[in-house]
Amino acid sequence: MSKKTLLNSWHRSEGANMAAFGGYDMPLWYPSGAKQEHLSVINNAGIFDTSHMALLTVKGAHSRDLLQFCFTKDLDHCIGKKKTPLVEGRCAYGAFLNEKGEVLDDAIVYFIENETYALVVNANMGSIISAHLKRCSKSYPEVDIQDLTDKIGKIDVQGPNAALFLAPHLSDPESIFTHMPYFSFKGTFDSNSHRTGEVRFRDNTPILVSRTGYTGEFGFELFMDSDHLIHVWHTLVNEGRKKGLLCCGLAARDSLRTGAVLPLSHQDIGPWPFINHPWHHALPFDESQTGFTKSFMGDEALQQSRNSVYVYAFVGFDLRKISSDRSSHVFDSAGNDIGTVSTCVTDMAIDRHEEKIYSIASPDKPEGFRAKGLSCGFVRLTKPQEYGTILELKDGKRSIKVMITEDVRPYRTARKSVKEMLTL
Amino acid sequence: MKEINDLILPEEVLYADDHEWARMEDGIVTIGVSDYAQDQLGDIVYVELPDIDDVYEKGEEFGSIESVKAVSEMYMPVGGKVVEINSDLENSPELINQSPYDDGWIIKVLPDDENELDDLLEKDAYIAMLKGSE
Repeated sequence: MSKKTLLNSWHRSEGANMAAFGGYDMPLWYPSGAKQEHLSVINNAGIFDTSHMALLTVKGAHSRDLLQFCFTKDLDHCIGKKKTPLVEGRCAYGAFLNEKGEVLDDAIVYFIENETYALVVNANMGSIISAHLKRCSKSYPEVDIQDLTDKIGKIDVQGPNAALFLAPHLSDPESIFTHMPYFSFKGTFDSNSHRTGEVRFRDNTPILVSRTGYTGEFGFELFMDSDHLIHVWHTLVNEGRKKGLLCCGLAARDSLRTGAVLPLSHQDIGPWPFINHPWHHALPFDESQTGFTKSFMGDEALQQSRNSVYVYAFVGFDLRKISSDRSSHVFDSAGNDIGTVSTCVTDMAIDRHEEKIYSIASPDKPEGFRAKGLSCGFVRLTKPQEYGTILELKDGKRSIKVMITEDVRPYRTARKSVKEMLTL
Repeated sequence: MKEINDLILPEEVLYADDHEWARMEDGIVTIGVSDYAQDQLGDIVYVELPDIDDVYEKGEEFGSIESVKAVSEMYMPVGGKVVEINSDLENSPELINQSPYDDGWIIKVLPDDENELDDLLEKDAYIAMLKGSE
């Protein structure tokens, strides 16, 4: 029996196509369709119920030490080009590994305030990561770990106009949106925090607004006490729809994140060493890019397994995809089977024109450019590859040619400043 | 997702177990996929069509439709020779979502044996099958 978010009956009443994901009954798409939902996040904005994701808090004098040991990102060297320490109001992406250097789950760690951190992990992973942290916390006394998943609701508003859709509903949008870089946040969902007054919904609901998301586009993740979730959702959706805000399901989220080269946990990252992949920013590499700036659970295993598994992003030459189950294999130009396909979707906002990939949002797109979409995803290989290498993906029925690539969808907006997006 | 009662299921077509439909007119059978199939698949983004004059047996795979979700094969509800394909689907595969029984038709076939149509389901039997598979 799947779990349900508090918005489940709303999704159903809207005619969403529902499916099980991470133990939850979630919308795949609404009647507008996954393609329009994907395009809406590139062109305008979309709103997602992401309450299925799990939220933990880690509190206490040794909370940072515990996270430094368990989380792959070095919290003392992670902000900006100068790699300054994580301070209150900033968050960081990384992963939790076991002793073998394998991924238990990926996460964003929020430094809420003095000795208090919040972690967002994937659906159904709250109890697993919380148990893992508790096991590790034996060396770090007085750390309190709570799983607040069922007490906190989460809504993502993503797309270039996300701030325009959010602003009318915030108590003081101007001050909230000032100095709010990518991977920073303001406010909190906890009414007993000194941050509580920072961000309130118009009806006084305290919320945490974070400049994050998992689409590669500009936008926000909103966290609030679950008692307020339905009201906040209705308000944002009912007002937003007047200007084209589209409710989006997991299919659009999947194609958007893949085009942005973001991994899906337990699919593109998982029980194999987290070392050869496109997400080196999630590891605490030193300047030499060989050693680490801190020691952490799994670090030695990672150093010893440098020649194991290689994960790469790929992009195809048209929109056709293959299935990404165990029947799909990857072949090099000599016809050798060199691995498997972990994700294969179509990013409907991009296409090739004279060898180059453009997005419908690219300012330099050719005149009359129309995107039919390109297949893209991730492969898990037994051998390292150069970017630009052409490989063949085959499932039982179809084969497609793809190129190993560093990036997929151009002109993404995730890192743009709020100021720039508000003056568009 | 449409409720079964909300599906558009015309009386004048016959339905196959795997959700193709067939409509006989003047000795030619037009074939498409049902409203149920297009609703389950979601946005159709690509259709792989056979060539004209290709010959298939009943139940044989004649093409595939690719949605945002997956690639699904289509099977012949009757055996015969392909006499026409809906080439509008090449640039507008979404016609299958928008108009599954009219603008979104897929192929036209000269059947080998019209009696093969007798194995297909009428609307009520198709609805009963959909209800049974729920």
